[in-house]
Amino acid sequence: MKYVTLKELKNWLNRLAQEVDLIAPRDVDGHVLYRPVASSDEILFDYERPELSAKEFIFPATEVLLRIEKRGTEVTQEEVLPERKQVIFGVRPCDAHGFAVIDALFLEQDPPDRYYAHHRERTTLVGIACPQMWEGCFCASMGGAPDDPTHLDVLLRAVEGGYVVEAVTEKGKVLLKGLETKNRDQKPGFSEKTRLLEQPVPVTEPARWRELFEDRIWMRHGERCLSCRICTYVCPTCRCFDVADRVIEERAGFTRIERIRAWDACTSTNYRRAAGGHNSRPTKPGRIRNRFFCKFCYYPEDFGPLGCVGCGRCVVSCPVDIDIREVMGDVAAR
Amino acid sequence: MPINESLTQQIRDQARQLLTEERVDLIIGYEAGPTGRVRPAFIYDPAEVERLIWGDGCVHNLINYLHDKKHSPKRGVEPPRVGVVVKPCDSRSLNVLLAEQQIERERIFVIGLACEGVRDGGGELAAHCERCTDRAPALYDMLIGEPPQVSPVEDDWADLDHIEELPPAERLSFWLREFDRCIRCYACRQACPGCYCTTCMFERDDGLWVDMGIELSEKYVFHLGRALHLAGRCAECNECERVCPMGLPLSLLNRRLVREVDALYHHRAGREEALSPLLFELGEDGSPM
Repeated sequence: MKYVTLKELKNWLNRLAQEVDLIAPRDVDGHVLYRPVASSDEILFDYERPELSAKEFIFPATEVLLRIEKRGTEVTQEEVLPERKQVIFGVRPCDAHGFAVIDALFLEQDPPDRYYAHHRERTTLVGIACPQMWEGCFCASMGGAPDDPTHLDVLLRAVEGGYVVEAVTEKGKVLLKGLETKNRDQKPGFSEKTRLLEQPVPVTEPARWRELFEDRIWMRHGERCLSCRICTYVCPTCRCFDVADRVIEERAGFTRIERIRAWDACTSTNYRRAAGGHNSRPTKPGRIRNRFFCKFCYYPEDFGPLGCVGCGRCVVSCPVDIDIREVMGDVAAR
Repeated sequence: MPINESLTQQIRDQARQLLTEERVDLIIGYEAGPTGRVRPAFIYDPAEVERLIWGDGCVHNLINYLHDKKHSPKRGVEPPRVGVVVKPCDSRSLNVLLAEQQIERERIFVIGLACEGVRDGGGELAAHCERCTDRAPALYDMLIGEPPQVSPVEDDWADLDHIEELPPAERLSFWLREFDRCIRCYACRQACPGCYCTTCMFERDDGLWVDMGIELSEKYVFHLGRALHLAGRCAECNECERVCPMGLPLSLLNRRLVREVDALYHHRAGREEALSPLLFELGEDGSPM
């Protein structure tokens, strides 16, 4: 097994920070978040599941798609995408799984989303296995595991004094060329117990979900919803967005516009508002139903994977205790 | 969360009676979810009142949900009559909504609770409870529990002074650093009983000042704008700060305006029943009438 000391790992990360956009878990005023870092000193190595997923670094919360300039009658359009390579270090396996879920729509459908594809291409995912399941976590029920290498380029597992290093993909192998590792027969300090859930969360077939469209489950869980966007914004697989043009500068004969896309959320009241003002999904239970149907019925039917990786972020961050595990349990029990 | 058995029983009895006698169509109270977390509960059937609980984990301001029940679900049917469990801070926001003619008083049955303060997540006393001196709701149709005798603690505004004393540039950088964490999820607005515009001005498609970008300038304008829209209306229930997933100290913004309005007009929103909105009370020269 390839092994790296924490000291060597930090040296490598410091060199990497010079060459690429390095993203890693950081303490931001008491919140653990994936953030750009300039040196390994800023990185948390002993950390829980970051409060927000790593989604924003491949699918930015706000992204400029086009810069448009109009001079007189002449219009120019320019795409500006970052060219530098990006490494997300310390990404949790569930977040990598989340990218695989989004890939099914943004990469594998025709035409692919070129902006998402660009960020995906320039990014290498270096994961660190979770030493345990955290509050709300249920990745093991969603086909993942706290140490699942499947969707990562590199997986690190903590051992005494350092990490066991596993290059999962070719991209990972290339990235690791600059990292000095030793061969050492050391098993990761990881027990089978960390993979187990005390109570597995049941997943119900899409066809069965369809039968429950009019069920009272949706009123029961939706009535207390605040119609905020927390669950969708912390989610590693929610990928709805809206597009708009913003005027940056305007004077006689000259206009500069940015076409942006920004995250949107099906839980918000005006998500379904159409031209003329009609809202075809005007109630909280209807919107909550859509969120769960999207994850467990529409998305798997249309694109393949389930729209949930069991990261548990929505579970812990919902201010009114709308718990996806409970909803899945209720659906299974019907 | 420790459940107060005696008060819980009284709430259940009251709820059962109101529903059985058909004086209300539903009760909005609190229940414990399967993981033990406390959450809002909507009870329509007298047989389900056993779900209701009371304890110091009952943090949510349920007045917010009255907006959802203002309108009839079907044409030709009256809007529902609602029994609602109300803490002193929640009652102040109810007063604000009554004064703004958002709620019909006769459609509401207020189950008032004597309150010693709440604890989010079973931890320490919530910050707004530490400075709260109200032990009984400002209005109720029935009071449950004995308001504990407490000697009023003067609010020393220390949290606010700490920020106000900073030089302007430092104060700005403090706030920009806080707003930077905001994810524009609008949980603060959605949890606020005072934020009930059908379309928020910060979410208009034709908004001139704020577009849908989730960037620092939008977050900055949104939070300052929201605070200003609540000037003289914020009942200090602190739901905005509680629900914020990124821990923004939003009470500092609201309290800045609460202090200003109180100093200028001796007006604390919701403290008295049906106190008119502040702006209706001002004379033409801006002084209180």
